[in-house]
Amino acid sequence: MKGALINVFLIAAVLLSPVKAFSAGTVKYMNVMSIYSDEKGAGLKSPEGVACDESRVVIADTANHRLLQYKLEDRTLTEVAEIVMPQVTYPVLVKLNSKSEIFALDGRQRRIARLSREGVFKGYVEPAGLPSPEAYVPKSFEIDKEDNIYILDVFSERVIILNPEGAYQSQIKFPKGHGFFSGIAVDFKGNVLLIDSINARVYSSAKGSEGFATLTESMKEQMRFPTGLTTDNRGRIYLMDRNGSRIIVVGQDGSFLGQMSELGWKEGLLNYPSQMCVNANGEVFVADTNNNRVQVFILLK
Amino acid sequence: MKLDLIRIRYSLLISLFLICALMISAPVSAQDKFRLKPGAKGEICLKCHEPFKEKLKARFVHTPVKIGECSGCHNPHTSPQGKLLAAVSARICVSCHKNMVPENARSVHQIVVEGNCGQCHDPHASDNKAVLVKEGNELCFECHKDMADKVKTARFKHKPVNENCMNCHNPHASGTLEALLKDDLPALCIKCHKTDNPAFARQHMNYPVAGSRCNSCHDSHGSNKPVIIFEDVHAPVAEKKCNQCHEEAGSQSPLATKKKGVELCRGCHAEMVDAAFSKNRIHWPLLDEDGCLNCHSAHAAKQKKLLAGPVIFVCGKCHADTVKLQQISKNNPKNPGLCKPVKEGDCISCHSPHSSDHMLLTEKPSMSFDVCNKCHDWKSHSTHPVGAKIIDPRNKNLSVDCISCHRACGTGNKPAMSQFETVTETCIQCHKELERR
Repeated sequence: MKGALINVFLIAAVLLSPVKAFSAGTVKYMNVMSIYSDEKGAGLKSPEGVACDESRVVIADTANHRLLQYKLEDRTLTEVAEIVMPQVTYPVLVKLNSKSEIFALDGRQRRIARLSREGVFKGYVEPAGLPSPEAYVPKSFEIDKEDNIYILDVFSERVIILNPEGAYQSQIKFPKGHGFFSGIAVDFKGNVLLIDSINARVYSSAKGSEGFATLTESMKEQMRFPTGLTTDNRGRIYLMDRNGSRIIVVGQDGSFLGQMSELGWKEGLLNYPSQMCVNANGEVFVADTNNNRVQVFILLK
Repeated sequence: MKLDLIRIRYSLLISLFLICALMISAPVSAQDKFRLKPGAKGEICLKCHEPFKEKLKARFVHTPVKIGECSGCHNPHTSPQGKLLAAVSARICVSCHKNMVPENARSVHQIVVEGNCGQCHDPHASDNKAVLVKEGNELCFECHKDMADKVKTARFKHKPVNENCMNCHNPHASGTLEALLKDDLPALCIKCHKTDNPAFARQHMNYPVAGSRCNSCHDSHGSNKPVIIFEDVHAPVAEKKCNQCHEEAGSQSPLATKKKGVELCRGCHAEMVDAAFSKNRIHWPLLDEDGCLNCHSAHAAKQKKLLAGPVIFVCGKCHADTVKLQQISKNNPKNPGLCKPVKEGDCISCHSPHSSDHMLLTEKPSMSFDVCNKCHDWKSHSTHPVGAKIIDPRNKNLSVDCISCHRACGTGNKPAMSQFETVTETCIQCHKELERR
């Protein structure tokens, strides 16, 4: 009964909310809905993380010190589960692996927690066999399609690659002349991508390579201070320009493809977006942090 | 036949080259196009500009003036430029004085960038070398007034600075160095200061600092402290306890620090570091290998709290995008009542630079009432309903507060730190009924 009510509520929210289609460059997208609250009506507060696949969405509801997990079916969100635990009190980034496990970076402890699909704490990702383990600070992380874990270690200026169990495999040193790396992504080919916030530049390391090269020139003209990036299954790269409140899309070769959204408070607009995810159905979820919501878009092209 | 064709092609190329060369050198050779009588160069001008004859008695006369090439720079008939200049003044100068700025120069003097050559040089004549309008440091101090005060009032002076700024700086540009420096540090310093002197080693606690950057401790422009050390000195440096942070002077790597990043500083500043690490959000640079040194100087600094520069400069090293907005807001005449911390570039008036429990590293829970209240009594600021109970019509998860209309770090060219261009645009965000359709 309760689930049915939530269904009705969410479907109504989707139907009633104004659907807008936008086009910027070669990226066409449509805002379909926003997630404002949990099933009890408690509003999201500064959500910084969102992860998704084709069947669920997990939100890091940062200032509420919790994770929220939704079931996703036919563009409808149901069965909201609240995950609150002492091991993850300030989630700022969240990812899923193919085994349905949830990984969350805790901003306060700066540790990556591994949770079961049901949200049960399984332990922290502690890189076993890591060289210089004392000089390790994870700023961001990514999980590839084989469930390998890539950690952006800002202290030792390296990307650490772990196998799905968390054992150290290899590391890639940051390139020379970089600014500050805030985000990491791995595309469908296995290339590792980094975003330099200060220089608004994307770096890439081809799968198996031992170093990074610039993928884009400085994109200061298009972005203010990008802090995160993600990719879709077509190889497009989405850059979260947090200070600029927009998403910049570039191609696999680093070419500028367009901009999604801009600063604003209304549906479809963003204010300090932090993390986004794109699933295989072309559904895009954006943690619209300073608007206290997660927005859902559909890619049209 | 083939040879003729080649000859014609070459002659065409040469003609084209000559035409280009003539066009480029137009200001200098403008003399010819006025078809002046032989011996008339300059003489004609001086018939009317008689007081100018006095000027020509100066010790140093600009070569074109000396040879009477007035029309090299001026058009005697008409010109869209002031003083009948044949072109924009900078372009005239560059037509002869090429390569004043090396390609891809690391630093270029602002007035050179702006092409204001006349700010330092008299285009006609002067009693100073290089036809400078003033001699020595007096010329530099015309603009660099803060530096002038500092150099003149410092208790401990640096002799080369008081003699001539040009001892260390290039006046136009520096190809590879910052701040128009003539040579990199410490090479510039050791031209005068002998590092193989035993006294030098003694003064530096026997640490091999001959290859280090002297300006990490010493203020080359003078200081109120002996040995022209910066005003704010880190306690271990003042106490000559270098080994508190560095390996022993006699060790294999004496300049290496005993620990890396914030862990080194934690040794003495444990309370501060622990407090910073107990918050929800930490300023990430604190956690990289440089740690505290991203913003602070390790040895001595001009700024208090050993900051590596004024707050706006330190923050702007990474947050140039925000500082750019702040700068535009500061210089925007539509912003006479600009928020004081924004005007002064005092970022830490609202943000906690080390860590915070709140978004944007604000001191208080929100970048709105809690922070703005420090200076603004918002209850009397406006009759518009604001507060936690007033829901923003645009977004049900937000209440109406200061940043519903304003933006805290500056909004570029928009007035009154508004998020929007006009008052109307601000109002119709929520009051749709007022929107003109």
